[in-house]
This record gives sequence, structure tokens and C-alpha cells, in this order.
Amino acid sequence: MPQIFARKVNVLPHLSLIAVLLSGIVSVAFVWYYFSPEYTDVGYAPEQPVPYSHRVHVDQLGMDCRYCHSAVEAADVANIPSTETCMNCHTIVRPQSVALMPVRESFSSGESIPWVKVHSLPDYVQFSHAAHLDAGVGCETCHGRVDQMDIVRLEEPLSMGWCLECHREPELYLRPTDEVTTMGYVHSGDFIERNLERIASEAIQPPTNCSACHY
Amino acid sequence: MIALPIVEDGKGGKKLWRSLPQLRQDPEFADVVRDEVMPADSPPSRRHFLQVMGASMALAGLTACRRPVERIMPFARQPEELIPGIPLHYATAMPFRGAVLPLLVKSSDGRPTKIEGNPEHPSATGSTNVFAQASLLELYDPDRSRTLLHQGERTSWDAVVELSQRLGGSTRRLAVLARPSSSPTAAALRSRLAERFEDLQWITYRSEGDDAAASGHQSAFGRSLRALYDFSRARVIVSLDADFLGPTARNFGPATQSFARGRKLASSDASMSRLYVAESAFSVTGAMADHRRRMRSADVGALAYEIARRLGAATGSGSGLSDDPFLDAVVADLVNAGSGGVILAGESQPAQVHALCAAINAALGSVGSAVRLLDTDEDPEPPQGAALRDLANAMRAGEVDAALILGVNPAYDAPPDLDFAGALAEVPETIHVGLHHDETARLATWHIPAAHYLEAWSDGRSWDGTLSVVQPLIAPLYADARSDIEVLALLATGAPQSAYDLVRDTFRPVLSGAFEDAWRRILHDGYAEDTAFPEVVPEAPVPAGPPGFTSVNGIEVVLRLDPTVLDGSYANNAWCQELPDPVTKIVWDNVAVMSPATAEALGVEARYSKGRYYVDVIRLTRGERSVELPVWIVPGHADDSITVTMGYGRSIGSDRPERVTPFWDTADKTDIYGHGALANGVGQSVTPLRDASLTAIATDVSIAVTGRTYRIITTQDHGVLDIEARPLLRLGTLEQYRANPAFALEAEAPTPGSDEKTNFQDYPMLWEDRHPARDAAMRDSSYYRNQWGMVIDLNACTGCGTCILACQAENNVQVVGKTEVGNGRELHWLRLDRYFVSEEGTELPKNPQMVLQPVPCQHCENAPCEAVCPVAATVHSPDGTNQMIYNRCIGTRYCANNCPYKVRRFNYFNWSKTIPETVQMAQNPNVTVRSRGVMEKCSFCVQRIRGAQRRAELEDRALVRGEVLTACQQSCPAEAITFGDLNDAGSDVSRLREDPRAYTMLAELNVKPRVSYLARVSNPKPDAELS
Repeated sequence: MPQIFARKVNVLPHLSLIAVLLSGIVSVAFVWYYFSPEYTDVGYAPEQPVPYSHRVHVDQLGMDCRYCHSAVEAADVANIPSTETCMNCHTIVRPQSVALMPVRESFSSGESIPWVKVHSLPDYVQFSHAAHLDAGVGCETCHGRVDQMDIVRLEEPLSMGWCLECHREPELYLRPTDEVTTMGYVHSGDFIERNLERIASEAIQPPTNCSACHY
Repeated sequence: MIALPIVEDGKGGKKLWRSLPQLRQDPEFADVVRDEVMPADSPPSRRHFLQVMGASMALAGLTACRRPVERIMPFARQPEELIPGIPLHYATAMPFRGAVLPLLVKSSDGRPTKIEGNPEHPSATGSTNVFAQASLLELYDPDRSRTLLHQGERTSWDAVVELSQRLGGSTRRLAVLARPSSSPTAAALRSRLAERFEDLQWITYRSEGDDAAASGHQSAFGRSLRALYDFSRARVIVSLDADFLGPTARNFGPATQSFARGRKLASSDASMSRLYVAESAFSVTGAMADHRRRMRSADVGALAYEIARRLGAATGSGSGLSDDPFLDAVVADLVNAGSGGVILAGESQPAQVHALCAAINAALGSVGSAVRLLDTDEDPEPPQGAALRDLANAMRAGEVDAALILGVNPAYDAPPDLDFAGALAEVPETIHVGLHHDETARLATWHIPAAHYLEAWSDGRSWDGTLSVVQPLIAPLYADARSDIEVLALLATGAPQSAYDLVRDTFRPVLSGAFEDAWRRILHDGYAEDTAFPEVVPEAPVPAGPPGFTSVNGIEVVLRLDPTVLDGSYANNAWCQELPDPVTKIVWDNVAVMSPATAEALGVEARYSKGRYYVDVIRLTRGERSVELPVWIVPGHADDSITVTMGYGRSIGSDRPERVTPFWDTADKTDIYGHGALANGVGQSVTPLRDASLTAIATDVSIAVTGRTYRIITTQDHGVLDIEARPLLRLGTLEQYRANPAFALEAEAPTPGSDEKTNFQDYPMLWEDRHPARDAAMRDSSYYRNQWGMVIDLNACTGCGTCILACQAENNVQVVGKTEVGNGRELHWLRLDRYFVSEEGTELPKNPQMVLQPVPCQHCENAPCEAVCPVAATVHSPDGTNQMIYNRCIGTRYCANNCPYKVRRFNYFNWSKTIPETVQMAQNPNVTVRSRGVMEKCSFCVQRIRGAQRRAELEDRALVRGEVLTACQQSCPAEAITFGDLNDAGSDVSRLREDPRAYTMLAELNVKPRVSYLARVSNPKPDAELS
């Protein structure tokens, strides 16, 4: 009986085995990276109803984060300012601007401006801005250089592993509490030692147990 | 499996059982208990299986494809003091059965989300009742009426204003049928209404019947007095069919608190009160009784008279009750107690019995101490039966031009003999104001959706008379909604009035000093100081002769308010429907409750098969009308007496569209809100059994067996651990306690491998060195400082069920519906186990004792659930609690299988997905809303712990003792639940944990629960041999 398959075909089973293995590895790697918040969430920068630029307000005008996000030191959520806060200035500054139309409309009608949420944690996570500022976690640490953003962009994955990086080694991330809103803060050379000192003296113990955040 | 010995002592040589199948050791019962899950109705069909699989595939594919866009909606103008994420609390009050309950309501970002008692109010205890808790869901009831209707067509408020002007011009004859109200503003509007309408007929309509306590005191003392009982000052309490500890009681909170204070035992030389109860239906008050006499409600009057006669509070030659040991004991004890003796009659009893009780209290000298009589200065109400009949006749004769129906539902619950519906049809203009488009709304020409008490300004008096403000927390959810006061003001003046201004006007004369400052104070405190009714100590009434009770033999039927849905006002409230009845543990139904002997005489039974109860249905006929009700058998119920509860068989209109889902979506199968108003089709209305006088007791009812059977869903067997009850609930008598304060520990199993008994609290852990709590990461956590624990005092707990609803509201516990409760899938984190107690043996006792025990998660230090979770979704927290991490849970249910206490609850379906938008507003934002496939259980209100810790951290201070209250603890009127830090040696919880009565359930498992119980102690009369 003649050979149906040539001898060199014998390599095929081996090749296909390797292909299966490789594709397995590739698909794991694919899911690992492309299904992670690192890929799916970071860089999310939706268009907002008002083209509000943090660069203009923070970098050029030098406003502090807490002028608008006023409750951030008291509450779990860092509040989005009310339209009234915008209008404190914008009744005088650029009162005719077309871009500010929705703001003026909101102010006269009393309806909210429907901002799109960028930094969204799952509902099963309980997070407190106030607690983190109190410990000396800078805005920049989680939100990135907001002062350089024309459109707010998600800079960090906000995944649990990412949270735990800091909760396990807070000394690498903390800064003095009077510098929390500073953008582009440069750590001093001995900041780790200073942080360790502060952690010891103020008993900063970031919890790593599940029910600290999940309940 | 380790076979654990079943220890029999510690129960006082008694046997505890939950149900008749357990008592008679039914093999089918044993099967269900062994399998721990309810047998399925039928295996899922192939079609259903494919549906579910298709759905999960489709959803798995779809959910990954989109990023949900979430919006943040900040205020345009930020209200002062409102910070997003920080809840505010407002003092307000809830109108309840003619008085108001003082409340403190939490508002999360503008939504009321939790109701607590106002701890600063003089008439309150900081606690609530079942209905106050449930009123939160009432606000968000998706079936609430939303639109103003005229002849069934949508209309506008302007049309109502026009109607009021028209009526004011021509009409003289206005009839008002109003729910009992304590609002001075409403009373003022009533007199203004009388000025505008010369012939005003105002009837205060109480669906449960006349206020017999008020008329009883009126006839005893000749003035309008209200009795306020302080049971903590009483040594002997005698209840004559009075369920004063029951959830429907009008002065529930203070009564329960003072009763519990009189029962708590701080040490073995402390004294406690003794409670005698004579009643027909087993009530939670009867469950607290030291001596309970089951007797027909119709016979209670004779007992009251005989007690009064023997105590010199009544004259006459006596009744036939001469050689009754219960009566002798009551009389002897009351004489002994003197001014520490209190007797009170229940709402089922006629005014004469209340008058007799008032006379007895006066004769004993307890008036002024344990019984405070307050002068309400109200005009006595005429018997409403006659008033209603006159009104119905006048309506039919065309003598009424307009009728206003304020928050009551006579078409549903008025005596059928009156034919109120027919009479109403003869009135040209009928205006109905109500939360629902209900039975009466359909007959009225006008329907005005009522504003909820959390939506509108009002006021009222608490039970002691303290003037309290009803402050709204939210604008009406529906623009058409108006409050009683607004409607009354419109009719009284012909022009819309601001309820806010009217309420302020009421407070103006009461407040001294600058009004605005004083008013702000009122809004903060919720009440005006020193406005309670004045206390009086009247002369004891002259002993009267026999009241002439006629004893009718045969079976009586007693109509009572339902402990979960009241008179039907709460029938459309899912929390109330799913709250098990405190005694029968039945959900989503009403039944005819009777004793085993009566059931046998009638030839009816409750058959038990595979964990399910199939009961016979009887037909109760009174006159020409009849009701068919399933029977339910409760040992300890009086013979020849049948108890039925009101509030079921409702018919509520709802314009909410039925949910339409694609074929693969099976969520609508479990959607309790998916098929119209949820009160519809639940239970049967007992209104046909009412006669025109609205008395509670009917002795002329004939009973027939229909031959039908009906499946009743009850949770009484849920969580049973064994066919032979283990000593989970330990009880003894005061004598036993005094002889050995630690009597509860006698029931502890011997140490493994020896006959010695040990204190399992000190027994070493199984994996001492590897225990999670010994882990370095745990010790380093700041949470390690506080070790939380709970102690539940079974001597104080009355089993009213408030804690269950408080927990449900706080922790976003979803409602699963009747069918799924029947499958054992209810989600209540806290269950209230009800046991009957009898002598050893399997024969059915006639008059067993009843005891109740709340069972939350025990937060074992050696938690068996943690060891079996394959994904570490249930873990130990550094603060010693056992926590469920929902996002990790993959739903294996191993933990529930391994839980010795059966306190874990599984989301078999996606119950949170189908809740309507308004109900979503009731959810607590600080607690995760669970989805399908996730286990859940009591968390010790970890969100409250973490919230308090965060606050303390921000304020640079340590937690203050008592800063963290669990929801159940805060709501408990009996102060039976103590929660706190075990590391704080001075805390109440540490002290009580060391109490000699303290024990933990199943200590022999060495799981070291963090929940301890204080054994129950009863105080029977030492020398009495009473049945």
C-alpha cells in the first residue's frame, strides 16, 4: 500500500503540539494583559459634557484641588463641585463662553451637569478619600498629573493588586499631609526613612484584610 | 462526621421543639433535617435548564462588551451642610394607630435609608417597632398611587382646588372618615372645617374596632384618661388577653423596654417581675409569661370580674370561677404585690373589662407608680359601629353631599352589613386620600395620592402626649401627592395652604422665647419639651356590680391586627409580608389559628410531607357571608377559639407595567414585584366576619370543612439542627438560678475524652498556633485593638421581630417571595427561632411554654465556614469577626453546609436585579447589594464598625465605648442585644459575657462563638401548681 502521507508529515503532530502549547501560553498572556484593568481601564478619558480643563485651572491658574473638591477631607467621596462653584468665577470670567453654555444652563435651570465618572470602583469596594488624605496619600498618587490633563484620564488601574502595593509598603508612597494636593511633588532623598518614622509615630497601619474594604 | 452527644439538662428537664412533626419525631422531618436543604418541588425541566444555560452564555458574552457609563450628578446649588457621602439624620415621627412614634431618620444623599428611634424623646427608648422599620419601604413602595384621579381619569390639583371652592359654596353636609390622628394641626383644621360645613360628620375610623381602653377608663374614672404602664416598677403583671409586648401594641417601645428592665437579672439576688397571662391566641406576651392560662377571649371578662371582686374592686356574688388555681394565684400575688401589681386588658376585650382592670389597679394602689394615668382631655368617641351605620344610612338617603376619606379603607374593612360601598355610591362627591389606589379609591370619584409621612409636614402627640414634629426628609416622590393636612386645609379654607406654615402655627403658642430659635430647636429635637399629658391620680372608682357578661358556648372567632401587616396598611410591603409571624412563623399568608383539640374536633389537620405543610381549609360563616381560610394548629392556643388576623386579601391597583423580559431571562420567575401589586392574592380578607359593632370576638360563626388543602409556608422548622433539639436555648426558674447562677452551663457537653465538664471558652483551639487570629498580619492591623462580641439576653428578648427588619433595612437584605421561602431560601440574616417547651415525651402538651431566640451569625473564632471555602471568600477579620467577601464568592455553598448554626444565606437567584427603581432608593449605600450566586450572612454590621473607626481616625481619637451599635441592637425595644468590644474590660458586653447565665450555643464544637446568650429565667409562683 502506497504511503498516503509523506514522511516529512511526521513533524506535524509535534508542531501542532507545540502550537497548542504556545497558543495556550499566548491566550493566558492575552487574558492576563488585555483583560486586566491595566489595559481595559487605564487611559479611559471620556468626553465630558463641559470641556473642563484641569490644566487651565490647576496648572495655569494655580487653584488647589480642594477649592472644588471641597469635601474630600471629610467624606468618603471626593465631591464633584456644584454648578454654583463654577459660577463663583464664571459669572465674571468668560461669561459669554460657548463652552460654558451647559454650566450656565444648569445654573439657571437647577438641573445637574451629567459628568461622566472616570474613576469608578466596583460597588463592592468601600473606599474613603478622607482616610487616605489623612494618612498622607497624595491626589497625584492615584489620579496622576491631573494638572497636565485637558480631559481627565484614568492613570492607574485601580485594581486590588495596585491598592495593595501601597497598603503593604506605604512608606514608598506617602508624603507629608500638607503636600497631598501638590502636583509634581518630588520626594526628598530620605523620604522612606521619614515616612517610616511617621508611620511608627502616627500608627499608620493600612489594613490588608478583606473586610477593610469589602462589605 | 463526629457524633456529638445530645445533652438533656440545662433545659430544666424540659423538652424543646419547634413544630409538631419534630415533637412526634416524624421520619420525614428527620430526613429534611439531615439533608439540611428543602427537597425540591420538582427537578428543573429540560426547557428551563436550556433557558438558564442560554441566558448565562448570552450574558457572559454581552457583559464583557460594554463599559457602563456612570454619571455623576452634582447639585446645581449645593445645599448647606449637605456633603455627598455623609449621611444626615433628622428627627421626625411616624403616625401609628392614633399616636406618633418618635424617630431619627438617616438620609443618604437625600434619600431616607434607615429609620431609628429618637433616643432623646421623652416617650421613646431609641428603639422602633416592626412598622416603623417597614415604613421606609412603604415610602418607596412601587405600587404607591402616583396620580390624582377624577372618575378614573388623571386630573390636576387645580381641579381639586376648584372642587373645594365649589363644595364650600353650596355644600353643607360633609362627612369625613379619618384614620385616628393625634395631630393638633389636623384637629384645628377639623374645627375650621366644621365652621365651613355646618353639617360636618367626622368619624374617626379604627379598622380594628373601638378604642376600648379609652372608653373603659372613661367609664371607670369619668374622664378621658390614658394608662401608661411602667412595668419596670411592677412586681406582678397580669395580662388579660393583652398583647402589650406584641408589635401592634400602641405603646410598644416603652412597654417592652420597661417590661424587659423589670425582668433583667444583674445578679442572683436581683428580683424580677412575674407575668400572668390569660389569653386565647398564643402571643409574644404569652411567650414571656411565667404562668399562662389559655382561655377563650370571650371568657376573659368573667375572669377580670372575679379578680376585681376578690380584690374589692367590684361587688356582687361572684361567678362560677371559684376553684381556679390560676385565679387564686393571680389574686394572691396581686394582693401581695399591692402597688406593685398591674393588670391590663387587651384590645379584643370590651370596655367593661378595661374598666375593671382600671378599678383593680386603683384598688391595688399601683396608679401613680406602675400605672400612670394621663389626662388626654379628649372628647370620648361614640361607638363607631353606630356612627358608621348612621353615616351609611344618611349617605343612602342622599343626606350627604360630599365625603372625604382620609387614609382609611372602609371598602375593604368596614363591616359588610353596612354595605359601605353601596352607600358611598350615593354620595355625589367622594374624595379618597390614600397611599394606594385601593378598594376605596376605586369607589371614590376623586382620588388624591397621599404623601408619605417622610414627605410632608405634620405633627402629632406621642403616646404620652409629647407634642412632636413630623418632619419630611424628601420632597414627595410623586408630584401629585398631598398630605392629610394639605387636603384638610384646602377643604377648610378653599385655598391651598402650606402644611409647613400650619404646623409652625401649631407650635407657636407652645414655644416660649424667640420663635425661630425655638422652632429650630424643635426641628433638631423632634419634640416640644413639657408637653406631655398631665398625670393625674384620680379617686378609685366605686366598686360596681357584675358587668353581666353572657357566656356563650361554642367556638369563638377572634379578629386581631396582624403582627406583620397590621390592618392591611402594610400588606403591600414586601418586608412585612416576608417577616415571619412571631408565633406561627408563617409568611405571606393569613390562617385560622386554633388548638390541636379544636382542630381534632373540627376534623382538620396540618399534614406534613417532605418539609412542607399542607393544611385543611375551613369555611367560616357568619350570617350570610363566609371566608375560607387555611387552618393552623398552635399548641397552647385556647380550645374552642379561632384566631384570625386582618390585613390580607387586598386588592390594590397598580399602574406599574409588568416586566417584559426576553425569553432567556429567567429573572422574572423570581421577581416578586413583577406581577402587579404584591399584596394582591396574598391571604384572605376576614372582613366578612365582622359585624356592625366591629367587636373583635364573634361567637356566632359556623365552621365547615371545605375538603380543600392548601400549602402554608412557615419558617418554623428552618435551621433546625437535629430532630432531638440540642440545648441551644437554655432556661431555668428563678429558684434554680438563685441556687446555681451558672445553671446554663450544666448543659455543656463533657470534655472530649473525659467525663469532666469544662468551660469551652478556655479550651485550646484546634490549630492554636496556626489560627488566623495569631497571624502576624492580623496582630499588626489597627483593627486588632477591638475584638467585637455580642450578648443576647433571652430574659429580655420578647421575639417581636423588629431586629429582623432593622437588619433587612440596614444590610440590603432582599425579599425572595413566598415560593422561595418555601424552598428555604429566605435571606434574613437574623432568624428568630421559636420553641415550644414541654415535659419529656412525644405526646402533645395542652399548654406548653413558648420561648424565642434570635440567631444571627455567631462569628466563631474557629469558624468552620472559613476552613472549607476554596477561594477564601469567608475569612476572619483582625477584629475577630467572620466576614463574607462577596466579590470573592463563587457560590460553592460549602460554608453553609459546614455552618453548625445554619445562619448563612445564599442568593439562589438574582433578587436584587429585579427590584424596582424606587426600592433601589431604599438600599444602604454603604453595603454591597449582592447578586446571584453569592453567599451572605450577618456581618456584625461591619459597615457601621468601619464607619466609626474611620470617623475616630479622622478625629485622632480612639473609639468611644458604645459608639458602634448594630442595627438589631439599636432597634431592639427590650435592650436585649448588647454589642461591643471584648478588649474593653469595662464594656457592657465584656461584663455580660462573664455573667454566670452566659453560654454559647454548641460550645462543645469548640468553635468559640463571639455571640453569647444569657439563659432565660422564668419566675413562676413557687407554691403554685398551675397548668
